[in-house]
Amino acid sequence: MALSGTLVTGLTAGSVAGASSHPRAGGGTLTIADVAPFTGVDAALGPIYLVACTAATTAINKAGGVDGNKLACKSVDTRGDPADAVPAVRQLYASTSNLALVIGLTSDEAASVVPIINANKTVMFAMTGQSEFDHIKFPYFYRLVPPDLAEAYADVAIAKYTLHVKRVALAFGNDIGSQAFVQPAIQALKKAGLQLVANETLDLNATTFRTEANKIVAAKPQAIFTEALGAADATFLSEVQQENHGKMIPVIGTSATISPDWFKSVAAAVGARTLASNFVADNLVTLTSGPAYNAFASAMYAVKGKVGNTGNFSTYLSSPGGVHLYDGINLAALAMVESKSTVPSVYRADIQKIGNGVPGAVTVSSFAQGVAALKAGKKIRYVGPGGPTSFDAYHDSPGIFQVDRYSAKGAVLVAGNLTTTQLRSVTP
Amino acid sequence: MSTFIASIGYGLVASAVLALAAVGFTLQFAVTNVLNLAYGAVMIASAYLTYLVNSAGVNIWIAVVVAVATGSVLSVLLNRFVYTPFQRRGTSPIALVIVALGMTLIIEFVTQAIAGPTNVSYVMSQGATVGFGSFQLTVAQYVVLAISVVAMLGMHLLMTLTRLGKAMRATSANRNLARNCGIRTDRVITATWLITGGLCGLAGAVFAINSGSFGATSTDLFLVLLLAAVFVGGPGEAYGAMLGALVIGLATEVSASVIQPDYKTVVAALILLGMLAVRPTGIMGARA
Repeated sequence: MALSGTLVTGLTAGSVAGASSHPRAGGGTLTIADVAPFTGVDAALGPIYLVACTAATTAINKAGGVDGNKLACKSVDTRGDPADAVPAVRQLYASTSNLALVIGLTSDEAASVVPIINANKTVMFAMTGQSEFDHIKFPYFYRLVPPDLAEAYADVAIAKYTLHVKRVALAFGNDIGSQAFVQPAIQALKKAGLQLVANETLDLNATTFRTEANKIVAAKPQAIFTEALGAADATFLSEVQQENHGKMIPVIGTSATISPDWFKSVAAAVGARTLASNFVADNLVTLTSGPAYNAFASAMYAVKGKVGNTGNFSTYLSSPGGVHLYDGINLAALAMVESKSTVPSVYRADIQKIGNGVPGAVTVSSFAQGVAALKAGKKIRYVGPGGPTSFDAYHDSPGIFQVDRYSAKGAVLVAGNLTTTQLRSVTP
Repeated sequence: MSTFIASIGYGLVASAVLALAAVGFTLQFAVTNVLNLAYGAVMIASAYLTYLVNSAGVNIWIAVVVAVATGSVLSVLLNRFVYTPFQRRGTSPIALVIVALGMTLIIEFVTQAIAGPTNVSYVMSQGATVGFGSFQLTVAQYVVLAISVVAMLGMHLLMTLTRLGKAMRATSANRNLARNCGIRTDRVITATWLITGGLCGLAGAVFAINSGSFGATSTDLFLVLLLAAVFVGGPGEAYGAMLGALVIGLATEVSASVIQPDYKTVVAALILLGMLAVRPTGIMGARA
């Protein structure tokens, strides 16, 4: 089954590759495609990425654009389903002659469309955490978020070292992206010496989870690991609260739960104060002050209310999709300027140079600053709000983790950090 | 054992929500000959409007009236401007199903475009958990059960004691004969859309109350359970729909506790297939 799937994907990729066209330099508009779910159970993800895209491109255009071109964002709805994602991406290539970059690509659709985008030689910054991208080389694939298994280990470390609990339950959605956490979490719990007391899969299309909530409460966990987007977590956690006689069991979320939409729906279901005092999540360490953060915050707030954002806007400044895609777009744009080309096969080599830095490079924290340094003939290293980049051979740049929580108003607060020693102690 | 007993309580609540929806759906089908697959979309649109009123500070149990009104109005409009014109052109029943599917997408995505992708919840308290042993339900769930029982009783009285109910039954049995007997079937059909639409809106609000959180596409899977309840009970049979809802509601929740939750929709589908194989007309339908 896996083999046939690979073959189908490969054939599809090959068939589309011939239709590829790349942007030409000078005076036009280059398109950045946000390929992600805008409808379906993960519909909240695409709009977050679009906010980051609009913020980054607005700032870039304000600084003169790239190689004489302006940048514009285009949303491509995958509905969170590979069956919809593949034709959507084909349509993207058929209808977009000036495609410069693809962003988004959640675990829902990445496995099916990354080979197609790679075959079309388009640089992409992906949000998927799927571990297959840790060891399969796609030359045009870049990722600034950690693999799901690293996040699963981080969640176990939070349970052990931050919450100091012994009994844990898992409640993950039945989508590809959420299920990727389950096995690594089970293995890490074993390594950490913690007890897995219940493991329930939540059907993201279901309307109630009473029985699942009842089973979990009956198992008496001290913490629940979860990622079930859409309405699922809101419904499930409110039912856990009801089953537990109105008392919430502490929840440890993945970085995907650091999202204004997730907070808004879950807070409405269980109460904002209850959520604020019973919830933590892993998240990559991001900057919360300094010139990179200030440029990022300024760019984001400049588009507030303009691209359908919802909830507490400050959450976008900590959301992985907000921070890391903003960085990805800046990295790609600076690479275009440095290589003097908007052709991905030419400029992609400079992404790694600018991200990892080269000897003698000066650190820049925004596109405008980077362009000024390049014009002055300097080598640059971009360090954005997501912190320093360190791309490996697979273009992965795993960072270090922090523990986040919400305020009752939905602002994201840093509750602590995870040390490499803590993470290593739970890594199988 | 405790989970099993608890699941019976959840099954009764699920049955109550399903029954509200299924009775309206099956009566629509019986009287108007339209398999209105946009029913779930109208439910959720009604639930959203109720949410707006509830967010403005109106108690949810009062705001439910808005859901009833919205469901009624939307259903009548749907019939007047979509289904009736197609029926007048002689569109086949299967083509009308496709029209209904199209309307589902239109209503759901317009709702999502207006309301946004974020799921919402009513401002309400579920109340204390009350019961005996492992059978524990919240006060809100008991209210949902009560609403369903009252609505079912009301439908029973309407169908058996009123002229409209008798006219609906006559139109359902044979529309031409009913018309020849002096029944103004067009009015009866409009009244049917109005009443069943009200049940649809009520079901939407109750569905949202029971779910705790909902979005524009939340009723997609519910529609499958709804069809299972209707066809198990016997399509077009109001009492069959009540019984079908009880069977499907209990079966899904109890199977979730006995087997595992992943299989609960599978169990509903298996019951439906089994019924169609053994008795295609459903529990309450006439023997073929």
